Amino acid sequence: MRRAHLRRMGFYRRALLPVLLAPAIARAQQTTWLLNQDNAQIGFSARHLGLFSSHGRFTRFEARLELDATRTTDALVEGRIQTAAVTLPFPGAEDTLRSPTYFDSARFPEARFSGRAVGITDAGAFTINGRMRIRDIEQPFAMTARLAERRRESQGDVARFTASGQVQRSAFGMVADRTFTADAISISVEVQLLV
Amino acid sequence: MSDAPDRWSLAQRRLHWWSAALVVLTGVLAVLMVWLPFSEMLAKFLAYQLHKTFGLLVFSVVLARLALRALRPAPALEGLSPGVLRLAGIGQAGMYALLLAVPVLGWLAAQAAAGPVPTTIFLVIPVPHVLDPNPALYAWLRPVHQVAAYTLLGLAALHAALAVKHHRQGVPVFRRMGW
Repeated sequence: MRRAHLRRMGFYRRALLPVLLAPAIARAQQTTWLLNQDNAQIGFSARHLGLFSSHGRFTRFEARLELDATRTTDALVEGRIQTAAVTLPFPGAEDTLRSPTYFDSARFPEARFSGRAVGITDAGAFTINGRMRIRDIEQPFAMTARLAERRRESQGDVARFTASGQVQRSAFGMVADRTFTADAISISVEVQLLV
Repeated sequence: MSDAPDRWSLAQRRLHWWSAALVVLTGVLAVLMVWLPFSEMLAKFLAYQLHKTFGLLVFSVVLARLALRALRPAPALEGLSPGVLRLAGIGQAGMYALLLAVPVLGWLAAQAAAGPVPTTIFLVIPVPHVLDPNPALYAWLRPVHQVAAYTLLGLAALHAALAVKHHRQGVPVFRRMGW
């Protein structure tokens, strides 16, 4: 009886092992990178009165990227941004962005995002679909990413990825100054990875 | 008898007062645009654009005044000593130089600022920029623009005070330059 049970278990192990291991094998080439302001940039831009754009950056963030640099369609990303660490090259602008009207950094010190690559486009870009959480409001968020450059440096191959997307700031409760600043805010990310 | 006219031409007089009004308005807007907090971004932006608009209009008006001055002799002025006339001439030359330099310095400073904002005349006519953002240059240009502007306002105030003084002494300065 016990012998029969062990035989069955052996069969299950042999039969199921490849199934169980398949994702691990598929992900074996995936590498996890920890990203922050030293190896990545997160920028944003807004249009004003249809006349010009302002460009800002977040200077403190951390993210985890799981990526097979040879198969970017499996990418997975999660990140946190310190909303108080925002720069915009106009005097007084950073305080305004930290204020309750915008990020309300005192109450909501972090913005979060997470996403997963969902497919590759004809142009070679890959789409990352996910969620963005700002001011405790979570909304769907999509970015289009691409491998912009792969070059050889002394320490190895460096892959530079860029990604861009757009959010409607009003969807996160940031509705001030709509006459002056457009609702659509462009987000851009640039990442350099040693692959 | 001198061939010089007894007063400035109508165009010269009008342009003189137009440039005076524009300089005062530009100065008031400069104070307003700096005083407004960034949270009042639309009002602040409009104040900056009007400041730049009126500043560039001052530049254009002064060019027209210099052209007219080159075409027509200055009217005669009785009642002032040669020394006072010489000092007045130096003061006016300084004002003309500053009336041209201050708008140009401001235009360049606006371009060199780290956060570039377009320069437009009344939000309609774009004025091209010739510099890229350059914080180091901006750190030099902005105070120079500011000091030159305060110097211009100081000279203009002195010019006005002396004109009133000479008028009270019976020198027909307001008849020469009256609206």
